[in-house]
Amino acid sequence: MRSQTNRVILALPLLVVMTIFMPEVASSQTARVLVPEGSFHSVLPEIPGEPVPVDSFYMDETAVTNEEFVKFLKENPEWRRSEIPPIFTNDGYLREWRSDLDPGYEKLGENRPVTRVSWYAANAYCSDQGGRLPTLNQWEYSAQLMEFESKTEMRTFSSELINWYSGIDVNNLAEVGSTQIENTEGVKDQFGLVMEWVEDFKPIIADELSLDCGTVGRMNTLGSVYSYAASIRYITRMSFNAKITTGMVGFRCAYDEPAPTSQYENGNTL
Amino acid sequence: MKSAISKITLLVGMIFFGMSSLLTAQTQEYTLDGMTFGMPEAEVYTEDYDGPPVVGEYVTQLPNLAPLDYEGNKHHEVRIDIIVQEIEVAEGVRYQAWTFGGTVPGPVLHVKEGDKITFVMKNRSDEEVTITDPAKGGSPFMNQVANNPYQKNSAAIMPMPHSMDFHAGTVAKDDKWRTIGPGETIKFDWVANYAGTYIYHCGTPSVLMHTAMGQHGVVVVSPKDGYDTGYEVDREYVIVQSEYYLTPGAGDLYTYDFEAASSNNPSHVVFNGHQTILHDQPLKANAGERVRFHVSNNGPSGTSSFHVIGGIFDRVWLEGHPSNEMRGMQTVLLGASGSATMDMIVPEEGKYILIDHEFVDAEKGATGTLKAGPRKK
Repeated sequence: MRSQTNRVILALPLLVVMTIFMPEVASSQTARVLVPEGSFHSVLPEIPGEPVPVDSFYMDETAVTNEEFVKFLKENPEWRRSEIPPIFTNDGYLREWRSDLDPGYEKLGENRPVTRVSWYAANAYCSDQGGRLPTLNQWEYSAQLMEFESKTEMRTFSSELINWYSGIDVNNLAEVGSTQIENTEGVKDQFGLVMEWVEDFKPIIADELSLDCGTVGRMNTLGSVYSYAASIRYITRMSFNAKITTGMVGFRCAYDEPAPTSQYENGNTL
Repeated sequence: MKSAISKITLLVGMIFFGMSSLLTAQTQEYTLDGMTFGMPEAEVYTEDYDGPPVVGEYVTQLPNLAPLDYEGNKHHEVRIDIIVQEIEVAEGVRYQAWTFGGTVPGPVLHVKEGDKITFVMKNRSDEEVTITDPAKGGSPFMNQVANNPYQKNSAAIMPMPHSMDFHAGTVAKDDKWRTIGPGETIKFDWVANYAGTYIYHCGTPSVLMHTAMGQHGVVVVSPKDGYDTGYEVDREYVIVQSEYYLTPGAGDLYTYDFEAASSNNPSHVVFNGHQTILHDQPLKANAGERVRFHVSNNGPSGTSSFHVIGGIFDRVWLEGHPSNEMRGMQTVLLGASGSATMDMIVPEEGKYILIDHEFVDAEKGATGTLKAGPRKK
């Protein structure tokens, strides 16, 4: 934690300079949120009594949008639909887009999450932003940083979440930031919008888990519908391969550093 | 440093996924008790296929069963793709179903004991597939649905990973029944070693959710020497009982109700996927005829106490196996994924009600009509 603070202090003057000289870039940056270190219970097997520790990291406040992905493609032609090598994607890559650089915003919307991108493309995007895909544990830890006023409220939320996993309306996705669902740190829409790629979506242990009728029950380690919803999410994600593109999977990026302007905008992220 | 990490990740990812596709299973065909085991490893791949989602000569829409017009055994080539359809399950109740082939339950596959099946299935849950237009090169199922779309099907999208578990098959589930993502296709062989009526369903967890969302159907495996009765039946029908767990959604559609599913409280219990279909389109027979019902309780969670009001089952073969013969049964108890083949003499002209004698299920829809005309012979 200390070394991170040092790095931030060193970077501060640079940030100020960047803020002054690159206002356009700065304003188009997706806000990054600091997710503080902590621990959580995964639905994957873990040592009893030892929650999974997670170091602090930064993550995009919202999922990557169509407009942001267009910007990336303009600078990285090799990831355009007509250029992307087949080893990095299935046929459905950005299938609904009108052309290489035109999603057809009247149908897909500037601020809706980009979907039908393979894990490889998502990875490349985040790398280009100076980040990476969040790890499975980072994403889940952040997603579970939610406060419920009562067990009843948690139960209702989780039931709705499970039902949502059975019926994501991929033809009518909402805009990012619109679900009203956010964690205690201000990361938005981890639920209720799309499912998201993570760096290690198919952890090594996935091969050891027998995916069968009992898996959901065995994953129900938290003894609540909250972990039931989580198990559906874990299993669905584990069933993908890195070339798959679907209308319900988008992504956001994670970082070791704050955004060049995020401190200026939020003031309190540290 | 960060970009280096990403590149390493990319590389590791590529190697990892590349390696997993190179692994091969050690399988060799053998026979035991006259049955065939040991099928080659399943293939998972991507293909440019946008043809009919259901292909195969002996694949039909419920309650129909395709006649087996061949001697000896046959090697079938069957395709049943996974597609998403908005369907009606009761008047005014529509939801986005996850389906095999476009209907709930999925198509009926009819084979003979000892037949080999090469099965192909593409996960097309991320594309809109219309099944109500007549299709070329499809199965009888496609034309039957086009002529009689009683679930008022319309194409929809809901991409999810899915799999196929044929209870009629005897294979290693971590190979043949493996889960494939949207856009992927799986192909594998299996042999129908045992006669009977068998459910098929999606085996991807939550299996409760996937099955309740509509991913189930039946395979009828007719015994190679038939049932030992000394008579031919006049008609054969396939009836599948299943539950829906639906709740009104935000718009016009109903959605999956997790609370109801996990507390065994279905919103609808139905025959052949629709609350009133077997009244709207009664099964037909004539007085004095012998009718054979292949009944499967596909659940996912309930039991069925299958009875016909006004009839007694003359002979019943539990699970449809010719050795399991029972006589004179009023009600046949079918557990979740259980089945029976039942012969009934239709006594006289009139209406006979097929019913789950667990009346809470009957009142949720598990009833149907057999309409008998006058005696013809």
